[in-house]
Amino acid sequence: MKRLLGLIAFLVALPALAAIDGAQILQKVDRNLEPESYESYRQLTDIQPDGTKKVSVLYTMKKGRDKIVALFLAPASDKGRVTLRLGDNMWLYIPDVGRAIRITSLQSVTGSVFNNADILRIDYTAEYDVAAAEEQGDVYLLSLKAKTGEVAYDRLKMWVDKKAMLPVTIECYAASGLLIKTLHFSDIKDFGGGIKRPATLATDSPLQKGYRSVMQWSGLKKREFADEIFTLNYLPRVQELRK
Amino acid sequence: MKRVRVPAPLRLPVLLLALAIPAAAQEIAFDASAFEKKPYELGGYLELKQEAFDLHRDGAFYRLTTLGLPQRESLDRTTATLQLVGKLRYGIGTFDFRTSSSLQRDESAHSHDNSIYEAAYSIRPDPGFTLEAGKRALKWGKGYAWNPMGFVERPKDPNDPQLAREGFVMADADWIASPGGALQTIAFTPVLLPVESNINGDFGSRDHLNPAAKLYLLYKDTDLDFAWQGKGSRPARFGFDFSRNVTTNFEIHGEWARILQFAKPITNNAGHVTTETGDATSFLLGLRYLSASDTTYIAEYYRNGTGYSDDEAGQFYRFVDTAFTQLQQTGSDALVQRALSLSQGSYGRPNPGTDYVYFRAQQKDALGIVYFTPAITAMANLRDHSFQVTPELQYTGFNNLELRLRLFLLHGGSGTDFGEKLVSRKLELLARYYF
Repeated sequence: MKRLLGLIAFLVALPALAAIDGAQILQKVDRNLEPESYESYRQLTDIQPDGTKKVSVLYTMKKGRDKIVALFLAPASDKGRVTLRLGDNMWLYIPDVGRAIRITSLQSVTGSVFNNADILRIDYTAEYDVAAAEEQGDVYLLSLKAKTGEVAYDRLKMWVDKKAMLPVTIECYAASGLLIKTLHFSDIKDFGGGIKRPATLATDSPLQKGYRSVMQWSGLKKREFADEIFTLNYLPRVQELRK
Repeated sequence: MKRVRVPAPLRLPVLLLALAIPAAAQEIAFDASAFEKKPYELGGYLELKQEAFDLHRDGAFYRLTTLGLPQRESLDRTTATLQLVGKLRYGIGTFDFRTSSSLQRDESAHSHDNSIYEAAYSIRPDPGFTLEAGKRALKWGKGYAWNPMGFVERPKDPNDPQLAREGFVMADADWIASPGGALQTIAFTPVLLPVESNINGDFGSRDHLNPAAKLYLLYKDTDLDFAWQGKGSRPARFGFDFSRNVTTNFEIHGEWARILQFAKPITNNAGHVTTETGDATSFLLGLRYLSASDTTYIAEYYRNGTGYSDDEAGQFYRFVDTAFTQLQQTGSDALVQRALSLSQGSYGRPNPGTDYVYFRAQQKDALGIVYFTPAITAMANLRDHSFQVTPELQYTGFNNLELRLRLFLLHGGSGTDFGEKLVSRKLELLARYYF
């Protein structure tokens, strides 16, 4: 009888034991990918169907959940350009033009498969709610829904490695359900300072068949910045912050 | 937060796929040390531009510009430009510069020009505070083609609004604060701009130290600027601008500026020039829209408060006719010289009228060709219905090389803005190599 009661109690408790907290997983993913405030160097390589490559190098600074600045160091034609994101607001500063203009998350300042929302990505928890979470063997599958209509992708499907608590694949969907692109994370690297994360992110899109873009990280480390850096007036001077 | 019960475990092939796809990506090398900050930087571009002009021989500006020169129907011009941009870091300060050197040759003349566009030393004792002195091109306003609030800058060319421009010698500061909440940013930029016999001579009358200032606010996701320039070399003026994203892909912007006691020379058709003085109000309303198919549309309406009405412009063009009639009949060029002088002043501005619209549509990666951007730009004088249409092809697929082909088509009757310009058509091919 005791065994039977124990079995019933176990079966009743099983769903609670098995239930997973999607929001907590997403928070861990955010912090495992990057510290809240950091600097890093990134290389964006756009590969055309014929194999031709175009390479951009960016220096990036992020503060808090939704402030990020990216400075172009290469190619020479883009050198000195700076993009700023504050929440849903994005600007592009072009040295020749001498002032910042507003840009949209769906554009791409590099002309790559990565759009501005990918290049100036802020915390997933700042933009998305977890609509559903499930376990699939070695991974969690999180279904994310954009908090507002201003977010570049209406829905994300994110496969998270259970052990590393890092994303493996993310599918990005429009509100219509159309798959816009797929992001593939790989090449887990120890950046020091307790940061161990994928150093490579590749993307492809059914809307740009044959084209592929790859983002690689280097020199990712924690660094605190003043709020004033994340303002339009500071953009012409951003490159002076590099050490 | 929604909790979901675990379904039967599903091993995802996507995991393997994800690992397989970037394998090729890992072959791409990335060494960030090559991009370490250096004490100095030097870059810029070399540009070659070939232009073929169809001259408008009946136009007022053709007749005035080519006075005493061999008359021709067309002109080919070649221009080579070298722009150098550099930085030198020392201690807490940075010296930066931008120079422009050009050589120009056409069938009637050749010339060269060397200009320092910017050369300024700046120090930043705190991230929120910068002081700088030297030659600086400050760009104020939110308009794409025009900036009525550009108080301390040389006028923008609406045919090339993204081109770097020469600045003015000045001392300026920048104070930035981020209070948080609805008011995300406050920034204050005071400016002192001297005009002496050999400094900033083209800004206005000499022997003035011109004060100006701009206050920028990012308030509830809207950019707001309030600007002022005190009376000195130029009449006092003030204004404001705004820019905001209505939706992710739809931005609106505007500028408003008032110049106090603006003096406008006005000629009648006999060449009698009077100066009309009064407050002049200019404003601009614009939008930028990105469609789902990656077409960017820019549209602006510009009310030029310092411009000439249809009647005032018409009197100038009739005066030019009168002046050339006198030259032919009497041999006296007195009136022609007066007309020439007016044409080199406010009558000869790129947009001397009062009401303009600007429209541009550009398609990214057109015809499935990445980095290929065709565009069409139109600019019209709403008062006299003359206009200019500019189809354009641009390709940026080669590393650091920009190729652009543009055809300017001007249309307008006699006595109209675009109908009296120097050229009626222009074909322009430009190659710009960045280094």
